[in-house]
Amino acid sequence: MSRLTFENVTVRFGALTAVNDVSLDVPDGMVVGLVGESGSGKTTLARAGVGLTPMQVGRVLLDGVPIPKRGSAGRVQMVFQDPYSSLDPRMRVGDAIAEALPTPIARADRDDHIAHLLDLVNLNPAIGLDYPARLSGGQRQRVAIARALAAQPAVLIADEITSALDVSIQGSILNLIRRLQTELGLTMLFVSHNLAVVRYVAQRMAVMRDGIIVEEGPTAEILEHPHDPYTKELLAAIPGSHLPPKT
Amino acid sequence: MDGLKRVIRTPLGVAALTMLVVVLGLAILAPWLLGAKAATIDTNNLLALPSSAHWVGTDSLGRDLLARTLVATRLSVVLALSATLVSVTLGLILGSAPALLGHRLGRLVTAIVNILVAFPGLLLCLFFAVIFGVGQVGAVFAIGLAGAPTFARLCHTLVAGVEERDYVAAARIAGGSRASVLVRHILPNIAEPMVVQATIGAGSCLLTFSGLSFLGLGVQQPAFDWGRLMNEGLNRIYLNPLAALAPGLFVIMAGLAFNLTGEAIARIFNVETSGSWLASGVVPSQPGVTASAHGIARSDKTVLSVNNLTVDFPGVTPVRGLSFDLHQGEALGIVGESGAGKTLTGLAIAQLIEPPGVVGGDVVFLGETLRSDGGEEQRKLLGTSMALVFQDPLSSFNPVRRVGEQLAEVSRVHQGMTRKVAWKRAVDRLRAVRISDPERRAEQHPHEFSGGMRQRAMIGMGLMASPTLLIADEPTTALDVTVQKQVLDLLDSIRTSEQVALILISHDLTLVGERCERIIVMYAGRVVEDLSADALPVAQHPYTRLLMEAVPTLATDLDQPLAVIPGAQPEPSIEITGCAFAPRCPLADDICRTSSPTLAPVASASGRTRNKRGLDITVQTTRMLLRLNLGGKSTPVHTGRVACWHANEPLPETSQLDDTSPSLPASTESTHDVDETVVTP
Repeated sequence: MSRLTFENVTVRFGALTAVNDVSLDVPDGMVVGLVGESGSGKTTLARAGVGLTPMQVGRVLLDGVPIPKRGSAGRVQMVFQDPYSSLDPRMRVGDAIAEALPTPIARADRDDHIAHLLDLVNLNPAIGLDYPARLSGGQRQRVAIARALAAQPAVLIADEITSALDVSIQGSILNLIRRLQTELGLTMLFVSHNLAVVRYVAQRMAVMRDGIIVEEGPTAEILEHPHDPYTKELLAAIPGSHLPPKT
Repeated sequence: MDGLKRVIRTPLGVAALTMLVVVLGLAILAPWLLGAKAATIDTNNLLALPSSAHWVGTDSLGRDLLARTLVATRLSVVLALSATLVSVTLGLILGSAPALLGHRLGRLVTAIVNILVAFPGLLLCLFFAVIFGVGQVGAVFAIGLAGAPTFARLCHTLVAGVEERDYVAAARIAGGSRASVLVRHILPNIAEPMVVQATIGAGSCLLTFSGLSFLGLGVQQPAFDWGRLMNEGLNRIYLNPLAALAPGLFVIMAGLAFNLTGEAIARIFNVETSGSWLASGVVPSQPGVTASAHGIARSDKTVLSVNNLTVDFPGVTPVRGLSFDLHQGEALGIVGESGAGKTLTGLAIAQLIEPPGVVGGDVVFLGETLRSDGGEEQRKLLGTSMALVFQDPLSSFNPVRRVGEQLAEVSRVHQGMTRKVAWKRAVDRLRAVRISDPERRAEQHPHEFSGGMRQRAMIGMGLMASPTLLIADEPTTALDVTVQKQVLDLLDSIRTSEQVALILISHDLTLVGERCERIIVMYAGRVVEDLSADALPVAQHPYTRLLMEAVPTLATDLDQPLAVIPGAQPEPSIEITGCAFAPRCPLADDICRTSSPTLAPVASASGRTRNKRGLDITVQTTRMLLRLNLGGKSTPVHTGRVACWHANEPLPETSQLDDTSPSLPASTESTHDVDETVVTP
């Protein structure tokens, strides 16, 4: 079991309340999409989930147990938006992945492990010897996912992981996420501003605005019968959701 | 040692390194070769003037001053380097302390450093010299300590920059301690600028040290460095000026050697960090140029005619042979991945490509052939009839001037309006782009506007008169979906109400398909397909079709994997034989790889290949129709152009295109040039 629960989380930056008393459940083996415009607090909530942003109020529970500030290394992992910032340019890809392994292991085992992880994200294991500069954006994002998986996380938080990628690459990353979820039964919080992307990968979704969650439920249900006016507005704004009359 | 090679390639680098080698060579060799001579006391030659035996003369004990100057190199350099070492070490410790100590203590350290930086270095230096006492060691610490705050500040800034990177966050999540994150991830990434700074720092330490010795606070007899020699030579400067000037010249040379080497290395790092020519070379000179009513009254409805447009940079051709016509009030979308040449196309049309870029082909705008060296008249035509909107509205506005002023300036410069009339017009245009309370908003500065509002104001600037053509380059990419919709709606309404032709440049095929009548799909600088938006569901080029399949929409089949275009767009510097898309195309065969397809009109709508795999087409088309909510309407007709040997042939089923098979034979794909995974044909 691995279930992530945000309990009355509030995050403030000075006078600004970025996340306001948010409670959200990410059930075991499920992908929960978190959508909202930039500034809605979704990234802040995600970062609070892995302890990168301190919370003023509330707590984050893993299987009902509060995640300790230290010593919980790697139980909740995160993949970031910008693949060009998420890998250390001075560290070989393999070493970056090895760093996230939960316990130090023997050299030979280590290499097997890395090769396996790279294979899992559809990368040639030989790539482990390269520095990130030689990798494309899509490849880097795969490495970032492999690094997150190396820690054998209970929960994975993906923060806008396709936003910085070209459209032709985006699809392959989404396919990968879906395959990993089916094969490994990953529990995942999938943050995105793109409703169509969330619809494709997430079984449940939450809509966030101005630091609060305005709507939450099964993805299909929300998309078909949105209740909150803001969700409706988001849906209407998606390109391709309607064709205007041509002049 | 790649960096060293590049340092040598610049004239500055060669000069700096040569000087540095001479200085270091002297420091090592001079005491061995000339040490004895410099110490030889010759009572017959006390205070001799320069002669063939003693080029710089002798000192009060008859010692040869040239020899002494050369021998002094070692001590001068060693002391300067020691002081630098003290500075750098202390600076590193103080500068990285905030990363180690956490928030509160870190801020305290930073505050102390900031206060220390505010003290003049020489003052600190004299202060410490008094504390440590007169002498070499004292001076080393004095200068080292005095220089430390600057290094600490630099180090702190660099550390803070690296700390924000996601890989540091990732390492923290993975459970790395502060110290291990600092050593493994942060320090290696600040090494380059620190080395540069230390090299330059060594130069200034050398100068400062000479200064201290000259004042008598540094090196004491019988030891001697350049400063000491200058001090001794000063007494007789009117009799033997060389005695003081020779060591002075050496100080200058050594100081320059360190400084210039640092500069040369820094320049190389900067070249790397500031990006390629694509980013730096084509900065538009007139963001948001504008408009007049004179241009429109032409009978010719063709606003813009582009014929065989190319953009060349040395060794690269990012745009190759683009041709299209644009009519009044028409909306044309240019779509492609980043690096496809879309933005350069827009800039080339507006004649904003700057040297070394060269624009080829013809651009005819409102009947005038535009030239890159066009004179005043062309500038006026572009300034009044063509408007550009860029992706980042914040960087397109001057942050220190009021928004209204910046809009008004356009009309004052190009239309000769008075300040008052232009201001009125600005307010009116802000209202036209639906900015509420435009009178008040015009008085505000750009930072008081939200992103969407800035972009609307930018469009408003483009509308200060009445442009005939509006080029919008990714105008909504930086905006949220809801704001994006507002901006696009605004563009739509302007287009219809003011009969403005629009070129909408975007990476988003769906968005462009919804907002434009015609679409040009670019790939690696080439046009691969030119079609009406209605014809998107029957697009013929595999690239266009895969792009549509690759992007999930609200109608995407959840049971199917998304289509994947394996590989990456070729770099513009690579010469391609055959079709540029062939390496990523599931339909590619030998013809595609050897011979480049030309952009030709699509045969005819009825000529759709109903071959034995015709069923596939139908399935695919239906899916696309569903996606575009076109179901129920008559089948759209493709009347555009396409550049493909296999136009409209059925693509392999999506599942085959997917990358779900994880175990690919490693040997079949090279790690570097094939991104993602291989298609199973």
